[in-house]
Formats: sequence, C-alpha cells, structure tokens
Amino acid sequence: MVPNPLALIAEVTHRCPLHCVYCSNPLQLAGTTGELATEDWIRVFQQAGKLAMLHAHFTGGEPLARQDLTELIGAARSAGLYTNLITSGIGLAEERLQALVSAGLDHIQLSFQDSREASANWIAGAKAHAHKIEIARAIRGHKVAFTVNLVVHRQNLDHLEEMIAFIEQLQPERMEIAHTQYYGWALANRAALLPTRAQVEKAVEVVAAAEKRLAGRIRIDSVVPDYYAKYPKACMGGWGQRLMLIDPAGKALPCHAAGVIPGLEFENVRERTLGWIWQESDSFRRFRGEEWMPEPCRSCDRRSEDFGGCRCQALLLTGDATATDPACTLAPVHYIVEAALLEANSGAAVSQPTSAASFSQLRQQTTTLWSYRTNPE
Amino acid sequence: MPPPEDLRQPRLAAGCRWGGSEENRVILFPEGAIKLQGTGRQVLERCDGQRTFGQIITELQTQFGDADPAKIRDDIGKFLEQLRQKRIVDY
Repeated sequence: MVPNPLALIAEVTHRCPLHCVYCSNPLQLAGTTGELATEDWIRVFQQAGKLAMLHAHFTGGEPLARQDLTELIGAARSAGLYTNLITSGIGLAEERLQALVSAGLDHIQLSFQDSREASANWIAGAKAHAHKIEIARAIRGHKVAFTVNLVVHRQNLDHLEEMIAFIEQLQPERMEIAHTQYYGWALANRAALLPTRAQVEKAVEVVAAAEKRLAGRIRIDSVVPDYYAKYPKACMGGWGQRLMLIDPAGKALPCHAAGVIPGLEFENVRERTLGWIWQESDSFRRFRGEEWMPEPCRSCDRRSEDFGGCRCQALLLTGDATATDPACTLAPVHYIVEAALLEANSGAAVSQPTSAASFSQLRQQTTTLWSYRTNPE
Repeated sequence: MPPPEDLRQPRLAAGCRWGGSEENRVILFPEGAIKLQGTGRQVLERCDGQRTFGQIITELQTQFGDADPAKIRDDIGKFLEQLRQKRIVDY
C-alpha cells in the first residue's frame, strides 16, 4: 500500500474572469457543461477526509465562478480538511466573503499581477487591479489567514522591490513570490515571460533582503525558476506520492498538466473512489517510484529528491513523458532549455503595458507579444 | 527576533490550527503541516493564547523535574522563536 495522499487540489472550474498570460491551465480547457455537480464534489471531500488527507486547495480557473463555492468549502471543512481558496478576488464582495469564512474557510490566497495598475491589468487582460486592492482590505477585516501571491516574469521582475512593498501594505501573513511555470498558456507565451539571468539573480537578492526585513511579520515563500536551476523541481512531491488533483470534469490527475500526456487514461471521480484511484489506477502508478526512470535519473543520487523532475514538462518540451526533465542540467536534452535561455538573454527589452477599451481590442493590439488565456466554451 | 518574554501569551498564528488524528497530531497551515510529537506537542498544546510563556515554562519544568530548568527554558524559547519565524506561532 502506498501512503495516502496529503492534499487534494480541487480545480472546481476552468471559467475565469481574468485572462492572465502566465496561466498554467491547459490550452484545452474543460467546458462548463461537463463540470462536476455539487454532490459530486461533496462526495470527493468526504472521501478525502476518510483518507486522512489534510488540505483541500480550491483553485481553477476562478473558484468563485461556482455559485455553490460556499457549500463546497463547508463540505470540505466538515470532512476535516484545511480549506484554502486560491482566487483572483473577482466575484468576491463583503457578503460572500463573510459567508465563506462562516462556512469554515481557513485561508485565502489572493493573486496580484503587479503593483502598478496599468501593468497589472495588461498582464491579466482585465481591469481587475483596483478591485483586488479593495478585496485585500476586506479580507483583513475577517478572521481568515491571508496570503498574497504574485507571479513574476520578464515583464514585472525589474520592479520586484516595489511589488514586495506594495504587498506588505496589504498586510498578509504570508506572500508567495512565484516564478512563472511554463505550462499551458505560459508555455505558449514563454518568449515574452522568460526572464533574463540578470533579472533572476537580482530577484534572489531582493527576496533574501525582504525575508530578513519582514521576518516574524510576513513569511515569504518562493517558487524558483526551474529553467535557471541546476536540478529540476520535485514536481508535486513526486508523481502519485503526495497530491491528487481533480479537474473540473472530475478527472483525477497526478499533476496539473498531466492531461497532456498521451496514452494515459485518467479515472473519473464519477466512477471511482479517490482511494481506488490512488492505490490502483494505472495513471497514478505509471510514474510512481523509480521503475520508469531512464538514465541518467535511474543511477542518479538525487532521484529520490526530485524524481526526475516533471513528467508533463518532459512531454511538453521533448515529446516524451519518460524523458529526464530538460530543466535538469544532467538531462541529455538540456539543450532545449539552454536554447530558450539563450533567446531570453539576447532578446528585446521589457515591453510597455498596453491598454484598450475592450478585451478584444487588447487582444488584437498584443498579438505579436502574447496570447491571452481565453475561457472554455 | 528574540524568544518570548515571560508575560507574553503565545498562540497559533492566523491560518494555523490543529488537525490529524490523536495518534498523528499535526498543525495545519496554508501550504503544509508539521507533525508534532513528544515535547514539541506538549509545548504547542499550551500555546493557547491564555497561558503566559512564564506559565508554560513552569508547567514543563515541573513535568520534566529531573532536567536542568535553565535548559528547558532555553530550548522552549528557541523552539517558539523558530516557529514564529515561520509564522506558525505568534507572541
């Protein structure tokens, strides 16, 4: 028996009012009509509680796009799970916030795209920044833990100090500075998002200084840029080791982007229990442990630390999900990442934010730079 | 950042709460959990926002009668200081 998973990632919908260019959702988004019903999700949380899972992370898309979110949070909390809402804040106002907290919401993670309004709205493809600030203030009026998340990349990294100071005055307990992960829309927009080495090195210094300054007041968690790392990230703590993701249509995935891997059939929570899927399904067993590993992973001292990196990234960059993650400097195909870095370090400077009267105009004006995330049918 | 002063009342920080089962007690926080056993668990179960740091120390010094009281104070102070850095405890 494999030890039970620690946390459930509940991707409750792919609908989202924002169009962030760094979104890691798949390009093929799940449509509204196929979304799990309220009672399906409630059953999932009950099963997760019985497996002694600890956390339920509500994400999407924008979880608030589900009208039954308060009920879902309440069900997860009743099942004994720690409830974490990962949100843009769009769709949240005082009354709904109060209802979510009363239902047992433990923690809210609110995203910001930038400290500068024009740039934030340009990255999100929506006029969202001012509302987010209002919501951040409202959250502080409630007894709920608060994290501000900021995704960083080429277009905003140059003023990271300013962004940290901006987050500081929103008074969260925690801030997450997350370098963009290149999946889905972010991968499609990589040329506009991948930072230079100088930007990354400066960011490390800025974050270290902020950690020291804010110690005991605001905890900083960082997500490192794996393209610039020596070794790959331990994606999801290992395939089928710690985490289980349920997508809006009920498919159980071992990793956010696993749906792109050809030849893998993913079980659906409509037909199977979480316990069965975790223990028995081919998809969760496929890359669990070390049997599947190619060289150099198979004989590498680090194989039990980073598990050969991310299977989805291996597929997206090499076409082969069983390859060593190309982010690893030991990977035979590391040149793929090196080529992207070479381009990033010789490319044009940061772009100027664009604004437009409508989203469709904004899309037209920025076609040479990036594609905005669109909504599912 | 110093360890708590005697009159401070340590408590779990916002977003942190107990979870797990009786045999497997954990403190849950936004992105993870820490498993607590033995002395660590005994210290944190007393961080209820009511007891002062001084009271917590006295209780544990009584309980571990044969250990050096100064060392107990020092160890618990450092333990709480570390947890405060991680925003798991406030005082």
